[in-house]
Amino acid sequence: MKNIRKRRSRKEKQPLPPVLEAPDAQLTLITPRDDAELDFLKKRALISSIALISFFAILVARLWYLQIQEGETYASLADNNRVRYVEIAPPRGNIFDSLGKEVVTNRPSFNVVLSREDNRLDDELLKKVAAVLDVDISTLLDRIRKMSDTPGHIPIRLAEDIVWEKVALIENNRLELPGIRIEVVPLRVYHYGNYASHLIGYLGEINKEQLDAAEPGIYRGGDLVGKMGLENLYEPVLRGEKGKEYMEVNALGFEQKYLKGIEPLPGADLHLTVNMELQQAAEEIMARDDKAGAVVAVEVNSGRVLAAASSPQLKLDEFIGGISTKAWQALLDDPRHPLINKVVQGQYPPASTYKIVTALAGLGERVISPDSIIFCPGHYRFGNRTYRCWKRGGHGAVNLERALSESCDVYFYQVGQRLGVDRLAEYARRLGLGKKTGVDMEHEKSGLIPTAEWKKKRFNVPWQDGETLSVAIGQGFVLATPIQVCMMTAALANGGTLYRPALIETIRDPDGHVLEQFEPEVLERFVGQGQNMRLVRAGLIEAVNGKRGTGRPARLDNITVAGKTGTAQVVRLKQYQHLKEEDIPYQYRDHAWFTCFAPAENPEIAVTVLVEHGLHGSSGAGPIARAVLEAYFADRL
Amino acid sequence: MFRFDRRLIHYFDWVMLLLLILISSMALANLFSSTWSGGPAASPIFYKQLYVTLVGLALIILLLGFDYKELETLGFVLYGAVILLLIYAAFSVHTVAGTQRWINLGFMRLQPSEPAKLVMVIVLASYFSHREIGEGFRLRDIIKPGLLTALPFGLILIQPDLGTALMIAVIYGSMILFVKLRWTTIAVLGTLGASGAFVFWKYLLKDYQRRRIETFLNPEGDPMNQGYQIMQSKIAVGSGQVFGKGFMEGTQGHLHFLPERHTDFAFSVWAEEWGFAGSVFFLGCYFFMLLWGMNIALSARDKFGVLLAFGLVMLIFWQAVINLLMIMGFLPVVGIPLPLFSYGGSSLLTTLICIGLLMNIRMRRYQVKG
Repeated sequence: MKNIRKRRSRKEKQPLPPVLEAPDAQLTLITPRDDAELDFLKKRALISSIALISFFAILVARLWYLQIQEGETYASLADNNRVRYVEIAPPRGNIFDSLGKEVVTNRPSFNVVLSREDNRLDDELLKKVAAVLDVDISTLLDRIRKMSDTPGHIPIRLAEDIVWEKVALIENNRLELPGIRIEVVPLRVYHYGNYASHLIGYLGEINKEQLDAAEPGIYRGGDLVGKMGLENLYEPVLRGEKGKEYMEVNALGFEQKYLKGIEPLPGADLHLTVNMELQQAAEEIMARDDKAGAVVAVEVNSGRVLAAASSPQLKLDEFIGGISTKAWQALLDDPRHPLINKVVQGQYPPASTYKIVTALAGLGERVISPDSIIFCPGHYRFGNRTYRCWKRGGHGAVNLERALSESCDVYFYQVGQRLGVDRLAEYARRLGLGKKTGVDMEHEKSGLIPTAEWKKKRFNVPWQDGETLSVAIGQGFVLATPIQVCMMTAALANGGTLYRPALIETIRDPDGHVLEQFEPEVLERFVGQGQNMRLVRAGLIEAVNGKRGTGRPARLDNITVAGKTGTAQVVRLKQYQHLKEEDIPYQYRDHAWFTCFAPAENPEIAVTVLVEHGLHGSSGAGPIARAVLEAYFADRL
Repeated sequence: MFRFDRRLIHYFDWVMLLLLILISSMALANLFSSTWSGGPAASPIFYKQLYVTLVGLALIILLLGFDYKELETLGFVLYGAVILLLIYAAFSVHTVAGTQRWINLGFMRLQPSEPAKLVMVIVLASYFSHREIGEGFRLRDIIKPGLLTALPFGLILIQPDLGTALMIAVIYGSMILFVKLRWTTIAVLGTLGASGAFVFWKYLLKDYQRRRIETFLNPEGDPMNQGYQIMQSKIAVGSGQVFGKGFMEGTQGHLHFLPERHTDFAFSVWAEEWGFAGSVFFLGCYFFMLLWGMNIALSARDKFGVLLAFGLVMLIFWQAVINLLMIMGFLPVVGIPLPLFSYGGSSLLTTLICIGLLMNIRMRRYQVKG
């Protein structure tokens, strides 16, 4: 304040500027005083104006650069800022059985989600939600805490798959539950539970390899894809096409406005050749006594697979959402190998079922005639080794029919010896053994039909003639899968046509229009073997229906069944030879085979049963084949 | 005190009033767009600004009755009052965004740093108008006005409001350069300024203030905060292209990508919605107004008038340039509004008073006898 007073006093001392007359006398204006300093300052103001103009020029140039030169770049940046697209999952295709029954479909599941748009957490609200859902408030808080690091526009899922009553309760109280929404998500429904689990497979979150292998844009991380079985093999058919919704979003990511959308395209439906009733019957009977093994039933004249059961079943619910290491290890350690689809992945010595091949080869190559008699004393001496018949006392003099029906080993040793391994292999291959059938099941094994060349290549040792004897009765190096044996049986039943086994009858779009229709696919046609096949079939009819037939457990009253048993040796160990069967450790017991077709006069169905460590084809597998046939012929018995 | 002559009406500054109305209309339209949140009514913010604009225009008319010459002495009284307000604001607080800038006056919340800028212009103009320029000022001649500036500068800096504090310093710098310094003085000041800036950076800046400048130098280092704001502003301006997205159609502003879109980044919204054409039109009007202000300085009747008009133009000019350079990605985010255009009652009122004073000087470019 002192300063001000001082300055004031100084001002008073200054002389007043001269007052000039303005040209307009009436207004008597005073022109600016003539003052050098004033002029100096005004000159500076003029220079400042030029500075102002140059700043204006800089700003306009910058605007030009941003808005015109780089305008399009920034325009697209602005668009990317504001548009988010949301994928809409298409409903996955359904799966039906041969009678049109639903096997796998989708159903809507209702999830409760909390939108974080309001950006505040209301204890009162959570209390209400907890009360409606009948859960503890801490579980809700846990879920919210877990999601706290995620972007705010992603809603938090508070509860999954809630019951309809609770959905109604929440919808009715919407006004009191701000921010709480019901989200509808399709969920896979397996109408037959774990039945046909190996066949159908399951869905799981896509993994990195699948993501990298797929065409870009089809999948995103977190998508559910088929992980096994038909769900996996027919993934491109079932998945449909995703829809897209373009939403305008704000800086926090919350949706503001719907811009445009592309409807999702639902996946196509699969109609199977499999009859789920038959499938269920087969699995149920295998599940009795906890048997491990496979049952295959095919339509003889087309190759349609009617049932393909692998036992034990896979428990699909263990796989949904990822299986735990512990559960996985338990599956691996299980001596009954539930992970393996034994229909196509189980390779076993076909044992006596292979005598069908040996018999056809013998007749075809004319090394035997139907009436050739071979004497069976219970063993056969070849070189310096004795080959035993399963019947210690021997069968006596046997012809082809008896050899098949009573499964005489000695007869087939000699047929094999006359044929040699390579001629035998030729017939086996033409009946579909030793190569994959090409059925729609994963990881199919090809089995093994040995030849002299194969052995030389594999072991670099020449073929021993004695080994041919083992091969002739389906032991030794020979390996076959249940589906191969079944297709071979079907070929025998239909007079020599080997079909590719099929699982899909039709693929239909969601409106029911057929996109693809199954056509029987012939893999091999045996010509000129009609008579020989009839002879072998007669042997198999006798095996089931004859008094001393090995296949009697599969006999039906009104339907003529033709079949062949097989007992596949797992190990030949001296120490077990004199034990009672029940005392042999499980893993050393013989596998039991039974393969058959019916009705014998006009075959429709071929059924093959394999029971791992089932001891005897006759008693271990025969009754199971019979049960499947009973289920198939239920209305004709 | 009242020396009103009806003849003054003949010299009324219609050009400035017209420019003021034009710019204010654009500002209000832009504010309407940037604060609109759906629904039939404009936001309360819009009405508040409209109300302050009208009050400010009335205040201008009222102020035209006084001779600006009175401020030559009155300025020091105002200076004392502003210092008291700043002290009060620094210790009794109403915090907005962590800073202490507001004083609640009951009818409105005043930001005392805004009138402080205006008062600094008046005080400095008054001080230098009583000094003989001669060969130019020496260092000892500018120490007293320097201390006069340092007091509000310090008080505003501790609020903390870096932007406004810098503005006070910039006004002081503009004024002393305008009145002519000796070359030796410029050299000494340059050295002092450089070392002062170093100390300032090292010890006086708050962390967030330093970060702002650091982010500006390296925007990618901090994409979600300061760098994000500048980036979104550039996207908004650039995406306007030639003719803009249309009034109320800007996505950057309406979808909240732009921060502070009705205050510091108001011009980003304008540039996005009106494009290059609208932006150049606005800047043309704005700079014509500033040049008209310089013209007022050129036509002023006395040294105080020239200095005051120059200071007032500089006050508006520097804020505008810093704000616009920030919006266009040339400067860091410093929190300086675009005068007349950004939302904010204290700033608008102060700027309207500046314009009023310029019109006052213009009207009294001839001394009326009697």
